[in-house]
Amino acid sequence: MNLVRAELERLSARRFVQLMLVLLVLAFAVTAATTLAGSHKPSVSELNSARAQAAEARRDLEATHQECLARQDGTLQSDTDRYFPSDCSDIDPIRQDRLPIAADFLPGVFSFAEQAEPLLYFLIAFLVLFGFLVGASYIGADLNSGGVVNLLLWRPRRLTVLATKLGTLLGTVLVLALLASLAYLGTFWVIGQTAGLPGRLDGDFWSSLGAVHGRGLVLVLLASALGFAIATLGRHTSAALGAFAAYAVVWELGARLVLEIVDARKSDLFMLSSHTGAWLNGGARFYDEQLCRGDNYGSYCEGFYTLPWLPALLVLLGLTGGLTAAAFAVFRRRDLI
Amino acid sequence: MSAVIEIEGLRKTFRSLRSGRRVAVDGFDLLVEAGQVHGFLGPNGSGKTTTLRALLGLVSADSGRMTVLGEPSPELLPRVAGQVGAIVESPQFFGNFTGYRTLRLLARAGGVPVSRVDEVLDLVGLHDRGDERVKGYSLGMKQRLAVASALLKDPRLLILDEPANGLDPAGIREMRDLMRSLAANGVTVLVSSHILGEIQLICDHVTIISRGRRVATGRVDEVLAGHDRHEFLVRVAEPERAVELLHAAELTAAVDGGALVVSGVSDPTAISRVLGEQGLWVGELTPLRPDLESVFLELTGAYEHPSVPRQVGDSSLPQGEAVIDLDRGVDA
Repeated sequence: MNLVRAELERLSARRFVQLMLVLLVLAFAVTAATTLAGSHKPSVSELNSARAQAAEARRDLEATHQECLARQDGTLQSDTDRYFPSDCSDIDPIRQDRLPIAADFLPGVFSFAEQAEPLLYFLIAFLVLFGFLVGASYIGADLNSGGVVNLLLWRPRRLTVLATKLGTLLGTVLVLALLASLAYLGTFWVIGQTAGLPGRLDGDFWSSLGAVHGRGLVLVLLASALGFAIATLGRHTSAALGAFAAYAVVWELGARLVLEIVDARKSDLFMLSSHTGAWLNGGARFYDEQLCRGDNYGSYCEGFYTLPWLPALLVLLGLTGGLTAAAFAVFRRRDLI
Repeated sequence: MSAVIEIEGLRKTFRSLRSGRRVAVDGFDLLVEAGQVHGFLGPNGSGKTTTLRALLGLVSADSGRMTVLGEPSPELLPRVAGQVGAIVESPQFFGNFTGYRTLRLLARAGGVPVSRVDEVLDLVGLHDRGDERVKGYSLGMKQRLAVASALLKDPRLLILDEPANGLDPAGIREMRDLMRSLAANGVTVLVSSHILGEIQLICDHVTIISRGRRVATGRVDEVLAGHDRHEFLVRVAEPERAVELLHAAELTAAVDGGALVVSGVSDPTAISRVLGEQGLWVGELTPLRPDLESVFLELTGAYEHPSVPRQVGDSSLPQGEAVIDLDRGVDA
């Protein structure tokens, strides 16, 4: 417990952590201020007009779908050049992710229900970056400056010291992420209530937002552990930054290009970005024209394939867990000079 | 006396792709007994710091046996870590923390009462500067803080690697007094230093390491006596004639500047008798005792070719690689 308290004090005293927190608050303040400045409470007439436009848009969708079905049945002959898909269910309003609502027709009005999720994605992205950089610098700077040696002279139990550092890091990042999310979403909720529209905040909305938030927090913790593990393996903060940059350039860009050239199938499955997206969104759908070649000749082929969230999570957990285990194994025997 | 530190046959080799294999410590032995202030000397790159790091579990030894306060190290070092204060090279501290906060953090991590922080700040002379940030400290003040961190635990064994680094003359003297007072209170001290005069003043025992091997160990006065060539500085009116007279009496003598250096003489009265009988009256007769610096340089071969820049790690072992152990005799 003493060690945890001491580590907590060390972590919070780090200039880099403080700088990242200032940046978080700054980004948060700028986003909130611009949202507030660009939004207003809609008047009754604006609302009525928007509702009417939304209703009309929904009717249009329904009419288009019906027209498509009628043309397919042959009950309607039309000489227009309007495009209709071969499968009318593609434009069936019931199958759409969302239907037009009044908020879509209220320019300059912030709608919390509509904007909360994209805003949350932005926060998660920042927290992932925060976790990775803070995780890497926390151990990297300590290893490089001799801080770890200092600590080991007091507590000559390497695994305990490293585990305490990792635990303190993850705990701190989690608490910070929770507090930041609460303050962030709370502020935009207030903006929605006072200078915009709250939107439809029903159970579905909160459960969907909660799911994204929960998955985002897991991602933040994984990124923190990953930064910590790579910096431990490489003894420097820069090892983690270098590994990240090298992976992004060599694999996500270079290997993706090579895989496309050699016509590899489902190449997105080899990319961590795909797994990250699949986990965060509860699954991901990718297009691959290779799927429609050869075997499927003559039959209908969509060319899409899905990456469910569970295998994506397992890949992310496996990578982070493997690197963390390697970091502990190496640190246990490493010469600290 | 009981052994506080025992090292037998310690061997450590570093391997790297760039510089290949380098033997840092090669079968090194060390024995520090309770109550000693033990100096640990060696040229740069001779393996001092590697030895201390291995002892404290910071580097893993290839082979050898080590114990600290009776417990095998590094396996059971945690059992006695609370009684061992150590600084290895110059420890780094958070620049943004004050000296007080730095020590409080370590005290917390080690389960030491925070009230001890003020005591050690006072001991190392930082009492009035404890509220200042470490980044504003001079090198000497940082070194004092490092020593304070080692003293926090109220240790039974203190291991100090170059504690006088960066200290001004007054600071060196204070450090010397501090170590003496700790030793008087029963603390065993192992101190490595390049300031050989200090070691000679502070330490009662010494071990000298060269190229990873022990080349001398024992009480400081005995190590010095072992290298006494029984030389005397003699001042007379006619040095050239004096040399001839001494040679005639089968004594070895040479003119050095305006004086004579006579060597291999166990009884200095022989010199005054030989010269006095021929009417040459001795104006000065001073025994030339070796100091730790000359013994160190001789044993480590660190000053063999004054005109050639010496490279780190360029030290030597005695002829036949003999180890002078004044407690146990000479091991060939």
